[in-house]
Amino acid sequence: MNDQLLLTPDQRDALQEVTNIAMGQAGAQLAQILEVFVQLSVPRINITESANIAGNILQLVGTPQSVTAIRQAFSGTLRGEAMVVYDENGCRDLADLMGYEDDIDRDSERELLLDVGNVLVGACLNGIAELLQAKLSFSAPTIMAENVEVGRLINPQQLTWNYALLVEVHFTLEVRDFTCHLMTLMPEESIVALKSALDAFMENF
Amino acid sequence: MLSPADFIVSEINAGIFMLDREYRVLLWNRFMAHHSGLESEAAIGRNLFELFPELPQKWLVKKIDSVFVLKNFAFTSWEQRPYLFRFQHNRPITGGIDYMRQNFTFMPMRDESGEVEAVVVTLLDATDSAIYQTMMQGAMQKLEESSNRDGLTGVFNRRYIDARIFDEIQRIQRYQAVPFSVVLLDLDHFKRINDTYGHLAGDEVLREVARRVQPGLREPDVFGRYGGEEFILILPQTDIEGARAAAERIRFAIGSETIVSGDEHIAVTASLGVAEFAPPFATAAEVTQAADEALYQSKHAGRNRVSVYVAQQSKVG
Amino acid sequence: MPTPILVVDDSVMARKMLIKALPAGWDVEITQAGNGLEALAAYREGKAEVMFLDLTMPELDGYGVLETLQAEGLNSFVIVVSADIQPLARERVRQLGALAFVKKPVEPTQIESILREYGIAL
Repeated sequence: MNDQLLLTPDQRDALQEVTNIAMGQAGAQLAQILEVFVQLSVPRINITESANIAGNILQLVGTPQSVTAIRQAFSGTLRGEAMVVYDENGCRDLADLMGYEDDIDRDSERELLLDVGNVLVGACLNGIAELLQAKLSFSAPTIMAENVEVGRLINPQQLTWNYALLVEVHFTLEVRDFTCHLMTLMPEESIVALKSALDAFMENF
Repeated sequence: MLSPADFIVSEINAGIFMLDREYRVLLWNRFMAHHSGLESEAAIGRNLFELFPELPQKWLVKKIDSVFVLKNFAFTSWEQRPYLFRFQHNRPITGGIDYMRQNFTFMPMRDESGEVEAVVVTLLDATDSAIYQTMMQGAMQKLEESSNRDGLTGVFNRRYIDARIFDEIQRIQRYQAVPFSVVLLDLDHFKRINDTYGHLAGDEVLREVARRVQPGLREPDVFGRYGGEEFILILPQTDIEGARAAAERIRFAIGSETIVSGDEHIAVTASLGVAEFAPPFATAAEVTQAADEALYQSKHAGRNRVSVYVAQQSKVG
Repeated sequence: MPTPILVVDDSVMARKMLIKALPAGWDVEITQAGNGLEALAAYREGKAEVMFLDLTMPELDGYGVLETLQAEGLNSFVIVVSADIQPLARERVRQLGALAFVKKPVEPTQIESILREYGIAL
């Protein structure tokens, strides 16, 4: 791998802290929507090779299980895609927490997953962008997969990049068995842009 | 003269409008005017929900408010919510759908202090993608169907039947549901029919047998061709006695009249074997094997009859 | 005599950001800790008259530090510095004896007003 893609320990540390701050904002918004306390995770940062992406995602989710995921593209100073991966119980719990009756139909459920995903992605990435003085815009989120094995979420053969930066945070609810993972993937050229944004950020301190 | 930006907002072939915190219209471009029949002079300053009572107010208010509070983009897609405005679309003849399919983006417009002062909404006409997707889904479904079907007779094929037996077993194991039964059916002396009347007549006999069985089936029953001149029937929630009765009706339906192929009148009978999926059976193979043993008894006992699989008493001592 | 203060965060960056936000004229002796266990060790050596404490950390998190201090009889001014801005998080650390709560990224003015409010510095 090209050394230019590797983050220095300082850059990694700064990205972790920036992500942590942004995640706090996203978590607070999720808590506000759901009216429950949200537990935040320590952000995990990896450079991943496209051939290993499925295994990396599986590792981050932890256990092999069937998941539902949304994806949302962002562009601007940084370019990439964010995914929100909901575990098996996640969808049902979410509907329940939002006060839907039992008979929520499929389209309403999808809309709910898209809306919550959009809030998390927007809050988290806008938070990062604001700290790094980057500008981002977002395209509409779409359903990526429903009830598929987590290892099959992404087909490596369809990827057009070799290396990507994978940043993962997850939100769990204290009172429920609910977890969702927010994963942000940025391809090679965005890693370079991110590294210089992190360097500029660190100069301030 | 309009600035280039104002000109583009006005003339672009997409809806653009802007709302304040009280949902009053601040901007209304030509696309919106054209499709709603409401000129921008008439829309500006008015409450959106008064102008369009058909909008899902409760939901849309929540969406717009979230943009003001969270300062974040929000989206809606036609796939979950086909339209908000009842606009005509540009495929009135060939479209086959009622109103224009719409994708919306809600964008926070911030003032100098960073507070959101207005929400800008864009509307993209997604009617063409909607039509395309509906067509594609139809084609996919046909493809899926056709791969479940036996090409000659049009009844389900073996692949599908095997999957359904598997499903039934899962259902029973999960919900302790009432067992199902399986009927195997083999045409008598089919080789002789082929030899005597030719393969085309043989094919016609298979098609006609499939036709004769189907009117007697219940809605949940699954009937298919299992290979050669062998057919199979799955009877959900049916015990062995119910299955025997169904098998008798089928035997009668097949043999009641000769089958006409060209000038020939061909007499056809069938032998049937019946088995119920009950302990100690645990797999699809075991229950079809049992039905096959019963079928063999029917053949052995002179054909054109129904036999029922009886579990061997376990030998004592 | 300089005030011994302890800055606890697993992120070097976060510690730098916090130190940068401290009031300019404040005479302090700064010790840094990368997790809760290190923080408790420094505290026991008397290096934490004022403690700036992050919540999410490996080894022992901020809640754990507060619990330990409370169990041993707290006599340090703890200011929690966290990205977790949920009202409930704020309430919990208060109940565990923290003096104040500052959200990340830290604003110098916020730190200064808390220090003034409690008559700690300046």
